[in-house]
Amino acid sequence: MAEIKTKGEMLFNRGAILAVVVALIIMLTPIYWIAATSFKARNLATTIPPTVVFEPTLAPFAKLFTKRSQLREPVAPEVYEAAPWWEKLIYDGGEQVVRNKKTNEPTSSGFGNRYMNSLIVSIISTFLAVSMGTLTAYGFSRFRVPGEQDWLFFILSTRMLPPVVVAIPMFLMYRAVGLHDTHIGLIILYTAFNLSFAVWIMKGFIDEIPREYEEAALVDGYTRMEAFFKIVLPEALTGIAATAVFCFITAWNEYAFALMMTSKNAQTAPPYIPSQVGSGLSDWTVIASGAFLFLVPVAIFTFLLRNHLLRGMSFGAIRK
Amino acid sequence: MARIELTDIQKHFGAFQVLKNVNLTIEDGEFVVMLGQSGCGKTTTLRAIAGLETVSSGTIRIDGREVQDLKAADRDIAFVFQSFSLYPHMTVYENIAFPLRAVGMNQSEREAAVREVARVLGIERLLNRKPSALSGGDMQRVAIGRALVRRPKALLMDEPIGALDAKLREQMRAEIKRLHIARASTSVYVTHDQIEAMSLADRIVVMHGGLLQQVGTPEEVYNRPANLFVAQFVGSPVMNVADVGVENGGLSFGAGAGVAMPAGLIAHLPKNAVKLGIRPEAVRLSHEPGEGMVETETTNLEPLGSHEIVDVRLGGATLRARAEPGFVRGQGQRLWVGLDAERAHFFDGETGMALRRTA
Repeated sequence: MAEIKTKGEMLFNRGAILAVVVALIIMLTPIYWIAATSFKARNLATTIPPTVVFEPTLAPFAKLFTKRSQLREPVAPEVYEAAPWWEKLIYDGGEQVVRNKKTNEPTSSGFGNRYMNSLIVSIISTFLAVSMGTLTAYGFSRFRVPGEQDWLFFILSTRMLPPVVVAIPMFLMYRAVGLHDTHIGLIILYTAFNLSFAVWIMKGFIDEIPREYEEAALVDGYTRMEAFFKIVLPEALTGIAATAVFCFITAWNEYAFALMMTSKNAQTAPPYIPSQVGSGLSDWTVIASGAFLFLVPVAIFTFLLRNHLLRGMSFGAIRK
Repeated sequence: MARIELTDIQKHFGAFQVLKNVNLTIEDGEFVVMLGQSGCGKTTTLRAIAGLETVSSGTIRIDGREVQDLKAADRDIAFVFQSFSLYPHMTVYENIAFPLRAVGMNQSEREAAVREVARVLGIERLLNRKPSALSGGDMQRVAIGRALVRRPKALLMDEPIGALDAKLREQMRAEIKRLHIARASTSVYVTHDQIEAMSLADRIVVMHGGLLQQVGTPEEVYNRPANLFVAQFVGSPVMNVADVGVENGGLSFGAGAGVAMPAGLIAHLPKNAVKLGIRPEAVRLSHEPGEGMVETETTNLEPLGSHEIVDVRLGGATLRARAEPGFVRGQGQRLWVGLDAERAHFFDGETGMALRRTA
């Protein structure tokens, strides 16, 4: 059936498209600027007026992962020729890679480790929060729990204090039990922080799955555990995906605790990137490349789960 | 197939007692319909048999084995839900095969069983679809297929066609009956629709307030209701009920109106606190005066096509009668009304229990 539109509707549609385009420009410009800056040569990053057309270079990324020092005198041509491509980029910028005196290995800036730490801590804590949250939510949704409302309120109440308030006691406790600057410490912290959120969101999703599905599985000869894994879990996938994205973003972006609870071994990327601003002359291209790499996992994760997310967002808005 | 025995079943939800001493035996191969309003305990009884609900006390036996403490999975019973409960993430084939996978049947046997049941139900062409792409009637067929595929001891159905529209309901009713006759499976069927109950049941169990009101064949329940509740719940339009006085040779309806009755039919009745129950088809209307007929006029008329429902006043009572189309022209028309004495029912005005002749 062809849709017949009035003039008013067509005007409205055009207006809506325009509004979306304007909103997109406003939101995507900073992201574009970060991405663009992370491929610029250092002298192009802070020009006035801004440089829009430029020849992209990977130099900022080469600098991001290595420890460097200023070149006092030009590098010898044969040394330059023998250097790998990324080191040439650093020489081109008037800097040299700091090498280990004994092994002559290039020294890492520490960003790579911190990036790995971010991935490890975020992925594990998200997995733990979502899986425990889903099981807890299932329990609350399906069984008679004495004091159910009070428990749920208690779980939610862990989110009511601003994290800063508990930061110092947490710091002292962590130091006392030896969790300071450990992966496991951060994982526990982020899991605990995300768990209350996961329980509440997942309870909403599981409440919407009719009990009859499980009951059908129970009379069909399955145990409750089997019914949970074969019936409830596939049905709750949308909710799980949405919850996982939110938990991942929270853990990935967390700054304050990461700054306080970690220093070297377990430090994540968020406290590292701004620490580069103050050290000597700020190389904005390096900071931009760090920020750009930092954006990528969330973008990929969200993109992979986009179909689930869309359904998750409109959840409750449509009656099945 | 199996025989199901319920003995002294009690069920409390907190302080509220849902089932009060339910005793019922369902014979092997029998089709029993539990009929009652919502909240009467019929669904709870069904879920207790299936193992989806625990009972507070009493025993449930399936083929002589006590099952009240067994898990649903161990009772070998199939259940059809009102919402069909087809697993949305599985195809029709996977839905029907799901119970077979629980018992670890191998793939070729599984496939054969699914195809067989799909053929019986006429849903072979739907096997690769997802439930969301099915019509209501087909969803219901798939749900029944999933229930029947592993040949359970008994088939329990909780308002299985209640969610369908009227036309489809009628068609599915016939299909369920055909299937029951073909498979002779012990079936327990819950509904609040008395037409479904009458048309499907070998025996009807009428429930009210957690108690069994009457257990009997559709004819018994219709023609010999055990009490006022059953009398008024079964039959459409609803049975007329009127307070009557019992006098020598007849019944008085107040305001001077009275109807003669053969002494043999009313001799056992007390003098007062009696309620007369009479179905609309047993209220006779006539344009001419006749023996045992009382003059009255119509107060309302409902034409229904095949017949009409005519309201007439008889003393202090209003009786609804079934009449041929066109028999009455409209409201306020003069008529003579009489009762078919053989089809009159009498109930105790206080307890509501049927007052039957002991002879």
